[in-house]
Amino acid sequence: MTADQITRGAYALIEDLVPSELTLHLMEMGFMPGKRIAFLHQAPLQGPIAFKLENSVIALRQSEARLIQVQLDS
Amino acid sequence: MSDIATPTQVSTYSVALIGNPNVGKTTIFNRLTGLRQKVGNYPGVTVDKRRGPMQIQHRHISIIDLPGTYSIYPNTEDEIIVHRVLNGLDEENKPDFVLAIVDMSNMERGLFLVSQVMDLGLPMAIVLNMEDTAEKQGIAVKTHQLYKALGVPIIQCNARNDKSLKGIEDLITKKTFAKPQPFLDTADLLPESLSDTISKEFNLKNPYQAFQLIRFQDSEVLLKKYQKDFIKEKIAEANFNLDEAQVKETRLRYQAIQRVLEKCIEHTDVKTKRLTQQLDKIFLHKVGGYVVFLGILLLIFQAIFAWSSIPMDLIDGLFASLSGWTVETLPAGVLTDLLAEGIVPGIGGVLIFIPQIALLFGFLAILEDSGYMSRVVFLMDRLMRPFGLNGKSMVPLISSIACAIPGIMAARNIGNWKDRITTIMVAPLMSCSARLPVYVILIALAVPEAYVGPFHLQAVALLGMYLLGIVAVLLVSIVFKLILKSKEKSFLMLEMPLYRLPKVKDVLITMYSKSMTFVMAAGKVILAISVILWVLASYGPPSRMDAAVAGIEAPAADAGEEAIESYNNRISSIKLENSYIGIAGKFIEPAIRPLGYDWKIGVALITSFAAREVFVSTIATLYSVGSDVEDELTIKEKLDQEVNAETGEKVFNVATSFSLIVFYAFAMQCMSTLAVVYRETKGWKWPMIQMVYMTVLAYVSAWAVYQWLS
Repeated sequence: MTADQITRGAYALIEDLVPSELTLHLMEMGFMPGKRIAFLHQAPLQGPIAFKLENSVIALRQSEARLIQVQLDS
Repeated sequence: MSDIATPTQVSTYSVALIGNPNVGKTTIFNRLTGLRQKVGNYPGVTVDKRRGPMQIQHRHISIIDLPGTYSIYPNTEDEIIVHRVLNGLDEENKPDFVLAIVDMSNMERGLFLVSQVMDLGLPMAIVLNMEDTAEKQGIAVKTHQLYKALGVPIIQCNARNDKSLKGIEDLITKKTFAKPQPFLDTADLLPESLSDTISKEFNLKNPYQAFQLIRFQDSEVLLKKYQKDFIKEKIAEANFNLDEAQVKETRLRYQAIQRVLEKCIEHTDVKTKRLTQQLDKIFLHKVGGYVVFLGILLLIFQAIFAWSSIPMDLIDGLFASLSGWTVETLPAGVLTDLLAEGIVPGIGGVLIFIPQIALLFGFLAILEDSGYMSRVVFLMDRLMRPFGLNGKSMVPLISSIACAIPGIMAARNIGNWKDRITTIMVAPLMSCSARLPVYVILIALAVPEAYVGPFHLQAVALLGMYLLGIVAVLLVSIVFKLILKSKEKSFLMLEMPLYRLPKVKDVLITMYSKSMTFVMAAGKVILAISVILWVLASYGPPSRMDAAVAGIEAPAADAGEEAIESYNNRISSIKLENSYIGIAGKFIEPAIRPLGYDWKIGVALITSFAAREVFVSTIATLYSVGSDVEDELTIKEKLDQEVNAETGEKVFNVATSFSLIVFYAFAMQCMSTLAVVYRETKGWKWPMIQMVYMTVLAYVSAWAVYQWLS
């Protein structure tokens, strides 16, 4: 599954990034395989999603969240 | 001789501040430099250069504040400058030392940037900021361990308190910087043969600089065509894949950082309900979030228009009496006239906007510093997408309610070229404060002073003009979205920082420095145009001028005061009619007839081409309002009485007034905005497109309104 499919409030582990022109940028922001993220909020109409990553909150568009492959984590 | 001229104790050097966004870099910069900071422009790229001197113990230290970035690979206009300064490509800003600011609660991401700077080989030091936040989150850093691992001086601090700041000052004045060893081995990324060739050819100091040059050769303005070709050729020869190498770099860097941090960070689990999470439940709520945002917008509106009217009236009155004083005190003559009618009102015309602009920037600074602004971007991004805009377009558009100039400058942090251009192109359609005086007068003429229920009709009309501006922004954006082609993919990756209480001092410094930027950018143009307009309105072809004046019968010697007054009024009115500007007004009359305007309005259109607010003062001159102190008629009453000599109808009837209002809503009547768009887009193409489309839009809409209402 990808990061946009995590249910609100749930945690997941990043498995891999789908190669794209944004890969490097996502990595720079800290979205690296092995990191744990949580789905915090989503703006209406499938708007941006706020993820918790380590000690920060980062918002991604849904299309960008789809580039992050994850596995649910308890 | 030279020994005497140069005191040995004085040393001059510069320090660049670098760090991720929201790590308190600007706070540190403000504290170090205070009001001595200067906001200028980087040559070649369009980013505010914030530089300030720090003078302690016979040292002249220049602090350069670089825009916040996550890596030295730029994604936005703002970030390009970081790359250029650090690589020594910016002639005026070659820092001797780098001071990297790292958020202690986000060490990993902070060190990512730091390690890149280390690889460039610049002497540096690290400030671990936000000690307090890290502590609350159970993060402790063993600074000495980290120092051993990185080989760079490190201090821990909380820049919000003065004691910590002293530490940073000491570090800078004692030059406690060290030239680090490379953090990564560039040989893992770039074949040594390739990096050697490039380093030798361009005289670079280390392989990572060669890597940077290969990465940026295409966009670097300093490189000649043959140099670019040389690099491209070598890349092809070495069969080198840059994209792969960059991804590899990022991965290796994070792995190396994690190894360092394992030894240097102690984590204790703290289970506290964080305030930020609680606030986000309200501010990011699917309904409540928008209600709060709307409320904040209304508050800003209220402040800009209600609270700032007092200082604005004060400035207005001050300059009016200064003009009067000039006329009375100085000997009569051309210079006095120029001073009293051209320069003084010109300066006043610039300064009058300062209260609104300062207030707006105060609010924006509070929203920004508190961390709320990124929540606005989050809330609005999806809603702006269908229009070809971006969540980050919100700040430019909100700023444009005060003035399009700072609004357009704020568009810099939109990474996507297409989104940024669209934002710049539509920002001047937002109703700026310069339109307000024009609206106020014209609405008073066109809309009856009546109430419908609890609503004052004129107030509703004014609100309608702001809504019209917003609707125009959205519709025109759609057009640009359809026309502009871009290969770049639009993206939004946005950190939402912890909420913090903004510091009054920081807000005040922002208000001051942004207002100064406005005065410098817009002020010069408005002042110059006012002087030119004064000349054009005061002089005309001499023969024509004299004939016109002679045509008016002078009052008899024993005529009463009233007759002399009326004679003087007619003289100044006929002079204006025959001045160069009056001739120009008559020249364009056929073109503006279909919109319901006569030549006098034509003159006002020409004069307000440079700045729309000039409309009011031009109209005042044209109808010689205010030349008589005892004249009780206000400008509005005077205009209301004005009848067309040929038809006997009112000049400012409802159709003409509305047509004018709509014209002013859409027309690009602001030289300063065009100048800023030129600067921001590095060329005349976009300002020209903007001027043409806005003028056409204004003309067509005004024509439609006039035809419909008359």
